[in-house]
This record gives sequence, C-alpha cells and structure tokens, in this order.
Amino acid sequence: MNAQATQLALGSPTLSPVRTWIVPRWIGQSFAVTARTLFLPLLILGLWQLTSWRGWIAPQILPAPTIVWATFVELIRSGDTPTNLLISLERVGWGFLAGGSIGLVFGILMAQFPSFRAYVYPSFTIFTQVPALGWIPLLMMFVGIGEALKIIIIAKAAMVPVAINTFQGIRNIPENHFEVASVFRLTRLQVVHKVILPAALPSIFTGLRYGLTHAWLALVTVELLASSEGIGFQMVWGRQLFQLDVVIASILVIGIVGLSIDLVFSLIESRLLRWRRAAF
Amino acid sequence: MSISRPIPIPSTPLIRRAAAFQAALRRPDYRGLYLPAALVVLWSLATYFGWVDTRILVSPLETLKTAWHLLISKMLWVSLGYSLARDASGFLAGSIIGLLLGTLLGTSRLADRLISPTFHAFKQIAVFAWIPLIAVWFGLGEPAKIAFIALVVFPPVLLNTFDGIRSVSRDYIEVARAFEFSTLQQSLRVILPAALPQIFTGLRLGLIYAWLATIGAEYFLKAAPGVGNILIDGREKFLMDQVITGVAVVAAVGYVFHYLTARLEKRLLSWRTRTDVP
Amino acid sequence: MAKPGTLSIVNVSKKYKVSGREFPVLEDISLDIAPGEFVSVVGSSGCGKSTLLRLVMGLDNGYQGEILLDGVKIKGPGLDRGIVFQEHRLFPWLNVEKNIGLALQNSPLSPAARRDAIREHIELVGLVGFEKALPNQLSGGMSQRVAIARALVNRPEILLLDEPFGALDAINRTKLQAELQRIWQVEGITMVLVTHDVEEAVFLGDRIVVMQQRPGRIKRIVPVTKPHPRTRNDFDLLQIRESVVAEFSNVAVETVIA
Ligand SMILES: Nc1ncnc2c1ncn2[C@@H]1O[C@H](COP(=O)(O)OP(=O)(O)O)[C@@H](O)[C@H]1O
Ligand SMILES: [Mg+2]
Repeated sequence: MNAQATQLALGSPTLSPVRTWIVPRWIGQSFAVTARTLFLPLLILGLWQLTSWRGWIAPQILPAPTIVWATFVELIRSGDTPTNLLISLERVGWGFLAGGSIGLVFGILMAQFPSFRAYVYPSFTIFTQVPALGWIPLLMMFVGIGEALKIIIIAKAAMVPVAINTFQGIRNIPENHFEVASVFRLTRLQVVHKVILPAALPSIFTGLRYGLTHAWLALVTVELLASSEGIGFQMVWGRQLFQLDVVIASILVIGIVGLSIDLVFSLIESRLLRWRRAAF
Repeated sequence: MSISRPIPIPSTPLIRRAAAFQAALRRPDYRGLYLPAALVVLWSLATYFGWVDTRILVSPLETLKTAWHLLISKMLWVSLGYSLARDASGFLAGSIIGLLLGTLLGTSRLADRLISPTFHAFKQIAVFAWIPLIAVWFGLGEPAKIAFIALVVFPPVLLNTFDGIRSVSRDYIEVARAFEFSTLQQSLRVILPAALPQIFTGLRLGLIYAWLATIGAEYFLKAAPGVGNILIDGREKFLMDQVITGVAVVAAVGYVFHYLTARLEKRLLSWRTRTDVP
Repeated sequence: MAKPGTLSIVNVSKKYKVSGREFPVLEDISLDIAPGEFVSVVGSSGCGKSTLLRLVMGLDNGYQGEILLDGVKIKGPGLDRGIVFQEHRLFPWLNVEKNIGLALQNSPLSPAARRDAIREHIELVGLVGFEKALPNQLSGGMSQRVAIARALVNRPEILLLDEPFGALDAINRTKLQAELQRIWQVEGITMVLVTHDVEEAVFLGDRIVVMQQRPGRIKRIVPVTKPHPRTRNDFDLLQIRESVVAEFSNVAVETVIA
C-alpha cells in the first residue's frame, strides 16, 4: 500500500501537489480526509451503541461502547493498564533487542561468508519453518513458563525477519557497486561503510520493522498462553471474570501499540531513507 | 607437476560468484547436514550419559520409535484429518471474504477511501488478541476456530487482491478500450488475468497463515481432536517425544502446502517466466 | 459523403490540467487525410504527437475542435480505427494467436471467419509457426509484428501507429519499415504514423507533417510524391530528409536567439 502510494507519487510528477497555501482549500481537503477516515469507525460505533440502547445484544456478549470507554479510562487511571503495558513493553524490548541483534549479526555473517552460509542456512530454514506455537511446548519443558520462555519466543519472532532481510539486502546489492568500489580501491572496511550498509539499509530497516511487529504479535500470543501479568494477561483475566469491557479495552490498547509501532517506523523510514526517493 | 596445468582464471567477484554457483549446481552441498547431525549426536550423548533428566528428554532413538508408533497409529491421521478440515473451512471463508473485499476496494475509489483506513488500523491488532472475544461470541467449538482462522486469512488475501487489481497497467486497459471491450470483458479478460499472480500470492500466504492459525485455534480454544491437541497433550504429560513428533508433523504440513502451491503457481502462471523459443 | 478512411482534423486544441493549471498541448491542428494515404507526423519528444493520436483513437477526450472519420464525429474508441502503441502492449498471459483474437472479441464475424482472419494476419506479418508462442518468448520486432496484426485484424479503415519501431534496434527497424510499406500497399488502408525519426517518416509517408513544440502546432506539411515501393537511399528522398531535418535545426536556432 505504502510503497504503491509512493510509487504513484513518483511515477507522475504531475500528481505532486503544488503548495499554494490557500487556507480554505487546505482545510477543506484535510477535513475531507478526516471525514472519510472516521466514517466507518463512527458508523460501527453508532450501530454498536444502538444495539446496546435497544438491548438487541446482551451486555455480557457485547458491552456498550460507553461502558468500554469508561473501563478503558478506569483501567488507565487505576494504573492497571499502564503497569501491565509496561511489563509487556519491557518483555518486547528485551526480546527485540536480543532477537534483532542476533538476526543482524546472523544475516551479515550469512551474506558475507559463503561457507558459514553453507553450514548454517539449511538448519536456519528448518528453524524458521517451525512456527512459534510449535516451539512453545518444547521450550516450556526446558525452561518452564517463566520470563525466559517469553523472551526466547519474542526474540525468535524478531530474529527471523531481521536475519532474512539483512541477508537478502546485502546479497541483492548489485555487483557493479562492488566493481565501482574496487575501481576506487576502497578498503574492506570502507566497502562495508560506504557500500554495504547504505545499500542494504532499506532492506535491513524493513527487517527491523517486521521484527518488531512480529515481536509484539509473539508477546500477545505468549502472554495469552502463560502469564500472570502483562497486557495479554489483562485480557485473559477479563475473560475469566466475564468482563468483556476489560477484554475489548485491552484489545484497544494492543491495537494502539501495534499502530504506533507501524507509525513510528514509517516516520523513521521516510526520514532515514530519503535518498532512496531522490534516486529514482 | 602435471603438464596440463589449468589455465589461470582471473579472479573478479563476478567470476568467483559464477564459479561458485556452477560448482553448487554440480554437486549437492552436504555441509548443511553437519549442524543438525552435531545436534543429534549431542542429544544422544546427553541422554546416554544422563546429563539431562531422561524422563523429560528421551533419546533420539526413543523419539524415532514414538514417531513411528504415532505414524502407524490411527490417532495421528484422524487428528490430522480434523485439523486439515478446520484449516480448509477457515481458509475458504477467509479467502472468500478477502477476495470480495479486495475486489471492492480495488475497483471502487469510494470504498477504498471509506474502508481502507479502518482496515489498516484493524490489521495492526495482533491476531491472537481476538481469541478471547471470539471465544465469547462463537463459543469454544468449531465455529470459533473457523472464525479465527478466517480472521487470520482474510487480510493477506484482501491486501494482495487489492494491490493486484490496482497495479493493472493502464496500458492494458487502453488496449481493451481500443477494442471496445465491455466492462465485463475488461474485468474477465484483462484485469483478472493481470491481477492473478498477485491474487495467487495472497491466497498462498493465506493458506500458510491458515495452517498456523489452525494450530493456534486448537491451542487456545479448548481441546478438540487435532494436531494441536497432540502437542498440548504431549506437553501436559511431559512426553517430549510426542511433542517433537507433533512439531515435525506441523512443520511437514506447512512445508507440503508451501511446496504444492509453489508448483501450482509455476504451472498456472508460466507465462511470466521467460522460456526460449524452440 | 466522404469515402471510408477519410480523416478530418479541424482546428483541434487540447489542454492538460496539471495541479490546477492548464497547459496547452495541441493548438489549432487542422489536417485532412485522404483514404489510403500514408501520413507521417514528425516532431520532437513531448510536442503532442501521442496526444493527437489518442484523440483520433478516442482514448482521450475533452478537446476543442472536431475530429471526423468519414464525416462522422469521433466519440470514443471504435473498431473502425486500429492502433499500435510504442510498447507492444501484448497481454503476456495470451499466446500470439489469442492476443490477435482478442481484438475480435466484439467483431460480428463467425468463429470460423475469425480463425481465418487470425491466420491471414499472422501470415501478413510473417509469423507463421509462432502462433502458440507467448509474448515473453518473442523478440521486440516480433512483438511489434503481433501488435500490428492485432490492430489490423478487425480490418479498420485507418491504422494509427505511435512510434511503433522506436524501441527496436536499427536493423529490425529498417526491416519492419519495409514490411509496413508492403502491408500498407496490400491492405490499401489509411495510415497515420507518428515518429521522431525523420528518415522513417520520409521513407514511408505520402506527406510529412512537421510539428513544433510547446504548444504542439503544425509547422509545415511536406509532400513526398515519390511512388511506392521506395528504396531507402533514393536521392529525392534524401533531399526531402535534409530539408525536414533543417526545420528542426531552425527551431533550435530560433530558441537560442529568443
Ligand atoms: N495525461 C496527461 N496529463 C498531463 N500532461 C500530459 C498527459 N499526457 C501528456 N501530457 C503532456 O503533454 C505533452 C505532450 O505529450 P505527448 O503527446 O505524449 O508527446 P509526444 O508523444 O509527442 O512525445 C507532454 O508535455 C506531456 O508531458
Ligand atoms: Mg509519444
């Protein structure tokens, strides 16, 4: 989607808006965008509220939006959500840090040393093919259901896309880049610094982005399965008490975090990789 | 020294890479086997010398025996049948929703503008977060599992269908217009075939996700006969060999899907790859 | 009434709107093309040659003036006009035969007559034996031959060619130019060829329409009376080529002085 949008803007320079700073039009446009973005959420919210008012659906099955909102605010005010979220974020942070670094090193090694790749790549493929839910029962038997299990699962989720994208990013650098480098007699270190890193950066970045998204996904999974704190646990807890408002409020928090991860990464990406746009 | 010395080949990166590639084509590379072999040896030694609790970690030989017993038992195949049936139902439901919505968003700017922002926000919610809600709305039986699988399958199918339709080149549409195609002809003869590769990619992703979701659904939504149950059961009874066998079965099914769809794709979309004129 | 294949372009102007502002692309183009005539349009890139063809084809609208085919105003695309684009635009998922057959989707012909028409046109462009080949198995020149066959299979009154050989290598280009001359003589239909290659324009055209840039206007129309089939290095043709090329160098001089 995003890539397509950029492509569209790149493909026809005619489409790039000329800033005229005519205030009414600018406001009008952003208003239209806001209106159509909010159209569906508001519609759903309206219908949802209506069903509760009319009592079409029992509150045990679908609590009213007003109740969910009140719970959402209450959970934040009481400190429940912040505490749980902080615990979850900490887990994701450590897991991502570990998995991301391992993935980065692993990807670089695989791309730079063919014999390392020959020894390790097949095992790595098998390792990635087995889903997290396959590893969880095995790991549980070895490390129990404590913090280690969570960190390992999150790290694995983060590591795979980082490793693959780093590896492919470096491998896909056109050979002629290296030829240029050898024409100018760059040293090996300079090649890494001046050629490999900048050329592979977009791909590495994509890997990190997927890595963090997958890490967040893995966190929710593992917290649902085995946890006594964290945002996933808050949800399980709400379900056990048949408090669907707590469940939905937790889903909301999970969605907001997911959205923020995505947003932050697109922001950094467009900042960091600006040369890419200029190049084409 | 031998008389027929090989002609020295200049060593540029390109030639080195080409040579390595050709060498790789000539002989299978066994180096990839060392690491797994080393692991198995370590595993054997660990169980043989009792470095680990053999009640938990049984020897490779024991594990193979269990795997064999499971493979010839009816239980495994019945479970696999249940899981695959679930997988297929969820995939079918999810991909139909994905195809329809993707087509709607791909062909209608208005629908795209109204629905896409919400969809992209929705997509950011980690899928497993829906499990508690689904459990309340659909119960813990089959409908809930199928709903969950469909929920996992539809986003990639939708996204790829949308992208496929949107990226149909305007050049092709103009050709269709020049030959006075009706809207239906244009959809069936131009947009559909042009978007097909990407729609197929979406369906392929959907199928692979569906299998993961099937295991997930069996995990989280009350035990029912299925491969997931073999894993849960094995873990609860501390039957490491059973768990390993189950994991291997899950991975094998995933691989079979991967392989079969790749073959199918190659066949259906052979027009994309360049082949030489006879 | 005009005879089939008469094209009249009367005072046509076209503007494109780019981010709110209007840019004139074509200004006051008038041109009458007789049935069976071969008209070449030359001009540098961006002078609106493609736009003119697209207007005649009915792919673009929203212009001032009139475009009449056989005295009838053109409204949208029609099977009475065929077009060959610069890129072959064959559908990669269909083989040669089916790509040509695609043009007959809305033809009144019976299935048997369609098969005959497809076969004839494959023969016409010299691709017998390649009926089942997919576009990605064809060379650039072969692909353009298929595109020409596809454009002709409906037996249009007029064939529009938008730099059809622009992407080919010199050898193939020469070959296909000769082929096109032969096809034009066999079929006897009106052809409008847009090109930036002066040699090509002079070799093929009965008249050369020289266009100038920004906004696109007709600068001069050069008649080429030499009968077909022509040879490439004919002295008269060389002289005409010189004079047309001179037109463009004049433009350059004018711009520099201005
Ligand atoms: N759809 C469009 N929107 C805006 N400007 C266009 C469009 N199509 C063509 N133009 C502009 O019109 C001019 C003439 O284009 P074109 O007819 O393609 O020229 P030619 O075929 O002679 O190279 C160019 O400057 C081009 O940028
Ligand atoms: Mg053009």
